[in-house]
Amino acid sequence: MSKIGVFICHCGENISATVDCERVAKSASEMEGVAFATDYKYMCSDPGQSLIKNAIREYHLDGVVVGSCSPRMHEPTFRRACSEAGLNPYLCEIANLREHVSWVHEKSEATTLKAIDIVKGVVEKVRRNKPLNAIEVPITKKALVIGGGIAGIQASLDIANCGQKVILIEKGPSIGGHMSQLSETFPTLDCSQCILTPRMVEVAQHPNITLYTYAELEKLDGFIGNFKATIRLKAKSVDYNKCTGCGLCTTKCPQKKIPSEFNEGLGTRTAIFTPFPQAVPNKPAIDKEHCNYYQKGKCKVCQKFCPTGAIEYDKPDEFITEDIGAVIVTTGFNVLKTDFFPEYGYGKYKDVITGLQFERLASASGPTLGEIRRPSDGQIPKKIVFISCCGSRDPAKGIPYCSKICCMYTAKHAMLYQHKVHDGESTIFYMDVRAGGKNYEEFVRRAVEEDHVNYVRGRVARVYEKNGKLIVKGVDTLLGAKPVEIEADMVVLATAGVANKGAEELAQKMHISYDPYHFFAEAHPKLKPVETNTAGIFLAGACQAPKDIPETVASASGAAVKAVSLLSQPTLVREPIVAVVNRCAPPMFSTCVGCFMCETICPYNAIEHEEIKDRRTGKVIKTVAKINPGLCQGCGTCVSFCRSKSIDIQGYTNEEMFAEVTALLNK
Amino acid sequence: MEENNNNIFEPRIIAFVCNWCTYAGADLTGTSRIKYATNVEIVRFPCTGRIDFMLLLKAFAGGADGIIISGCHPNDCHYTSGNFHARRRWMVFRDMLDFMGIDIERIRWSWVSAAEGAKWADVVNDTVGKIREMGPYTEYKKAAKFLEEEKIIHE
Amino acid sequence: MSKLSEKAATLLSEGTVKMIIGYEQGTERPRPAFCHKPEDCERLIFNDQCSNNLAVYLTKKEIIGEDKVGVVGNYYVIKTVIQLNRENQINLQNLVVMTVDGDDIITFGSIDEMQQYVDTHEPVPNEKVLAVIEKIDKMSRSERWDYWKSELSKCVRCYACRAACPLCYCNRCVTEVNCPQWIEPWAAPLSNMEWQINRVMHMSGRCVGCGECAAACPLELPIGILTKKMGMDIKNTFGGWKDGSVLSTYNVNDKENFIK
Repeated sequence: MSKIGVFICHCGENISATVDCERVAKSASEMEGVAFATDYKYMCSDPGQSLIKNAIREYHLDGVVVGSCSPRMHEPTFRRACSEAGLNPYLCEIANLREHVSWVHEKSEATTLKAIDIVKGVVEKVRRNKPLNAIEVPITKKALVIGGGIAGIQASLDIANCGQKVILIEKGPSIGGHMSQLSETFPTLDCSQCILTPRMVEVAQHPNITLYTYAELEKLDGFIGNFKATIRLKAKSVDYNKCTGCGLCTTKCPQKKIPSEFNEGLGTRTAIFTPFPQAVPNKPAIDKEHCNYYQKGKCKVCQKFCPTGAIEYDKPDEFITEDIGAVIVTTGFNVLKTDFFPEYGYGKYKDVITGLQFERLASASGPTLGEIRRPSDGQIPKKIVFISCCGSRDPAKGIPYCSKICCMYTAKHAMLYQHKVHDGESTIFYMDVRAGGKNYEEFVRRAVEEDHVNYVRGRVARVYEKNGKLIVKGVDTLLGAKPVEIEADMVVLATAGVANKGAEELAQKMHISYDPYHFFAEAHPKLKPVETNTAGIFLAGACQAPKDIPETVASASGAAVKAVSLLSQPTLVREPIVAVVNRCAPPMFSTCVGCFMCETICPYNAIEHEEIKDRRTGKVIKTVAKINPGLCQGCGTCVSFCRSKSIDIQGYTNEEMFAEVTALLNK
Repeated sequence: MEENNNNIFEPRIIAFVCNWCTYAGADLTGTSRIKYATNVEIVRFPCTGRIDFMLLLKAFAGGADGIIISGCHPNDCHYTSGNFHARRRWMVFRDMLDFMGIDIERIRWSWVSAAEGAKWADVVNDTVGKIREMGPYTEYKKAAKFLEEEKIIHE
Repeated sequence: MSKLSEKAATLLSEGTVKMIIGYEQGTERPRPAFCHKPEDCERLIFNDQCSNNLAVYLTKKEIIGEDKVGVVGNYYVIKTVIQLNRENQINLQNLVVMTVDGDDIITFGSIDEMQQYVDTHEPVPNEKVLAVIEKIDKMSRSERWDYWKSELSKCVRCYACRAACPLCYCNRCVTEVNCPQWIEPWAAPLSNMEWQINRVMHMSGRCVGCGECAAACPLELPIGILTKKMGMDIKNTFGGWKDGSVLSTYNVNDKENFIK
């Protein structure tokens, strides 16, 4: 016979205004197995908690039901109180009388009756609850940072400077990300590479950081504190231990016409290449898709010329597995290409380019060495048109969100253009100018007032080519939708920032959620902006949503602190809500028959095989399932799948749930 | 609560919800003070994947007139795939029940996220309205009380 | 002596296997035969009437013991062996699986060979069963309820359907779980129904369609059409399913129209 205590909270008047709390307590006291029931104004207050503690001692309660606010609110509070009074905290459960009853119903008989029903259901569950102990798991003191852009670089450095180990993996041959492609940065117009490259070097030299470039996450198993990451080290075809980075191979490679990704297709590179002069590591890799040797079977020029014999063809990709405690995802974003826009020529006009391409034109390290020259004929454009919100804020294009960075970089582009082409004329078509940020609005004003950039509020309907000019047709909505037509030499589209290719696949590998646009989802838009719903995995930078550099760096530091605060704990304490496969007396040992169909159910690979052996002969009698409590996260999908009901889940057992459901209905 | 003073049928409905989405969504309905019918009582599960199909049958057998099952939207599962497994289970289960003449119109399936407090109120009100129209699930209750009602015939 | 008997006798006399499970002539129709000695094998037959799903014995240690056995089974036996293997219930090393195709005795060397055989030898569907399903499908919902309630209220819960099913191999069936008592143990319309629903759900995607459950039913209840219908529904909903269970896997793109 159980001795349950029921404590009904008035929550000031939040519950008692619509629920007759006294009556609920009185009904509860008459329920089977209830030894004590009372109601009180504020159960979560100190005197309220003392009430519970005293009752536990006085009535030797073996279970507690608190009828109060949602368990998401005060379950930890009441469980702690029970624990302090010597009752196992998992014998305490909450009946949600506020969010699920008093706040959603009017004062009525039915409302009070519903409260009584809910209390009864929880009482029946608690009567069957078993004492549980929290699970302590060790933490691997190492973080994995995925993506070597500015977010990944910042996060890695922050973690490493806290004395924790970091593995940074980057998909491309060099770290640096989009920031390394930028010319100058708003609102200060300082050179992007000048502020970035020292940090890139710091990453490469930091004793706590292991950098793998040309590497991708293949698989992520495990859980917070104990992930196991399988990393694919793509074959670079160059032995970095031998390579000195002299660059001779890149000058000799006969494949010279490959569009350079770093220059956004505006320049070329060789098949064996370092993406840019300040690359980290500053050693080349062979792009197999364009290499004569890999494609046609002969060439080997680079091998002939390499003074240190570092070229190694036909080496397969390597796989390494690393134990990881926390993961930070910083895989960044991309911008739509011009071919996404039929109205602006489907990308077939060479002089219609993206903002990122313009960055390369304006960059001193770019294909034109910083001179603004149009891609088609290398002429300096005298009339240039910038179009903002290309794709962004356009539900018809499937991108209802604002890409956030375009207003600022477009102002910067126009400004840079005016600085470089003094007799040039620049026009920006905009919908709104969103310049929220420190010194941002001032920056835009400067573009207008000092550099005389012509801002036209309106959409551009079409861009087409006529007599070597690009005709930009739009409207000026501030002049009563007056049609505007500009003959431009070059058009720059501020194309929408979109999730990186493969973001969805990566999210699924890591079991994190993502939004409809494949940006990774934060755990809470306000209070948990760098956490994901999967414990131990954090987000930083533009993989979560388009962000500018200051915001990206801030989120990277934020994510780094979250990771460090996890890694610096000695062990991790987890709720014991885990599944268990039963064990019973021989000859059955367990009712599990070992079909192992639950294995494919489990998202955490927590189901292991256990061989039950004869103690004397050592012969295997039976192979049954066993759940690794360290890996199990407690979803319980295996429990309801198991045909013989051999698996149960602590905290939500079959008996408990069955009792709760039937109790709710029994009058 | 079979009938209230106005002789309107008040159905009993049990909601089986996942802890991470719908339970939190129903909490939000509360914090937003959106009112809904009192006929639904919520049972919290860690995940829709945990909801045993037998519990649904037990709810009907126990006298429920309707059932709501709700959890995270596809791709939003806290455990990655619990809702996908649950979805399959319900696809098979639902066909089966229908073939056996069990009234699947009395079971409302829904995805309600933690942010959809208003949707939860709609789901509840909508279901209550529908079940009220359908009336009590007498045939199932009768079958459940077979032993009480059946007279022993001595030959 | 038939080719089959010769083959079986050889396996026994050479000591390859300790027992051959096959079919022999019974009073009305063929029945399972267990041959321990070469001379027993003379009784072995194989024809269209051989319908028992002999695979049911392969998970029963008290029958097959620890030694290697041979089984000469029909299409469904082969299909069941594949499924049992997926579910880790048999040891292929200790099993010789055979069937008879015309005059030939086929001995399967691997699961792949069995799969190939199964893929190419699908039997014609039982018209009678399909007709009943069609009839029920045409009923109104309450007619269906009345039909099943009245049919299943005859059930005496002898569990012959369970015993005959080669894939009902649990040590402890859900009907024997009493904490909680998922299904009331006595025969009553609702608990009988619950038992059948459990049986069908547990079979989903696994059932090989041999129909032994229905054949075993002493009351000749139409329980075989439940699993048959479930199989048809699954095929319609998920297309083919190759991995032997629909409920232990999922597809992100599964399409339903009832979750709103």
